[in-house]
Amino acid sequence: MIEVKNMVKKFGFKKVLDDVSFTAEKGQITCLIGVNGVGKTTIMNAIMNLTPINGGDILIDGQKLNKHTYEKVTFIPDAITMLPQMKIGEAMEFMSDFYDSWNEARANDMIDFFRLNKNDRINTLSKGNTAKANLLMGLALDVDYVLMDEPFSGIDMFSREQIANVFTSHLIEDRGVIITTHEIQDIEHLIDKAVLLDNGTVYRSFDVEELRENEGKSIVDVMREVYQG
Amino acid sequence: MQLKFNTRDPVYMQVIRYFKTQIATGVLEPGEEIPSRREIANMFKINPNTAQRAYKEMEEQGLIRTERNFPSKITRDESVIQHVREELVVTAVNDFVDAIKPVNVPLDELLDLVKQKYAGADDQKGGALDD
Repeated sequence: MIEVKNMVKKFGFKKVLDDVSFTAEKGQITCLIGVNGVGKTTIMNAIMNLTPINGGDILIDGQKLNKHTYEKVTFIPDAITMLPQMKIGEAMEFMSDFYDSWNEARANDMIDFFRLNKNDRINTLSKGNTAKANLLMGLALDVDYVLMDEPFSGIDMFSREQIANVFTSHLIEDRGVIITTHEIQDIEHLIDKAVLLDNGTVYRSFDVEELRENEGKSIVDVMREVYQG
Repeated sequence: MQLKFNTRDPVYMQVIRYFKTQIATGVLEPGEEIPSRREIANMFKINPNTAQRAYKEMEEQGLIRTERNFPSKITRDESVIQHVREELVVTAVNDFVDAIKPVNVPLDELLDLVKQKYAGADDQKGGALDD
């Protein structure tokens, strides 16, 4: 389980995250929802220790962040981090050198799943295929938790469908996923839990099936209440 | 297979409704093997935990049977299947009555219209093959 407890983050005098708490369980898909600038990416950066926090705790399986946690969690940012002149195959080698948890068989599996070509250079890929290659680099790691930042943004609907298919496939299996997205419609039926952020804090977090069952509301209904109400 | 889920009803209930319809209409036969939970999640593009919950619920209702290490199968219990069929008919009739009630049509007139349409629906099905 990833636990974020009372996290505070300031940029200068501006408090961007104020007392943010939520949990993400293994085997579940947790979606961070919020309008632009609400701090979704900052939360992910903080979980990966890419940005210092000014208060609160982040625990992964009960442990504070340390160098070993990087073999437990993978972060798939919204833009590919591999060098653009690399071929996909070379980027895979790079990842394999860098991480103990790299799973070559799964990486090759994903090449087929996404119909990518290992000999293509990253800077020649379309936006959709770049996003897929980016997902490949992250998901091929044998880690318990996957963080995905906006995997759907700016991508055509067929590629989006293909990416959404990842969530019901063996590529995710029993891992814990934290995802941020604007295109909630694409994954509305795929997520277990939604965490709604507003003004730098958690407005509401809920089990989406429970919400439908007890209140007869969709995620978008609740979003309207929060952001337009 | 594409199944359009609505966003306000629990997805697991929509999955159960789908299976009930398939059972009631005989598309799924008694004793027939059904896809695994993961396959269903994949087919319907839904959360695997939700598929799991739907299957668990269907087992509790006696709609499907799962023996260890074997695929789940549709029940052979005629009374369960009969019950599902009745439930489906009653639900559909209730929906119809709810929709037509505010219009205030005399019952005889309504029943005639229903008979006409009902027969017509069969004709249309046959006719569709010609064009």
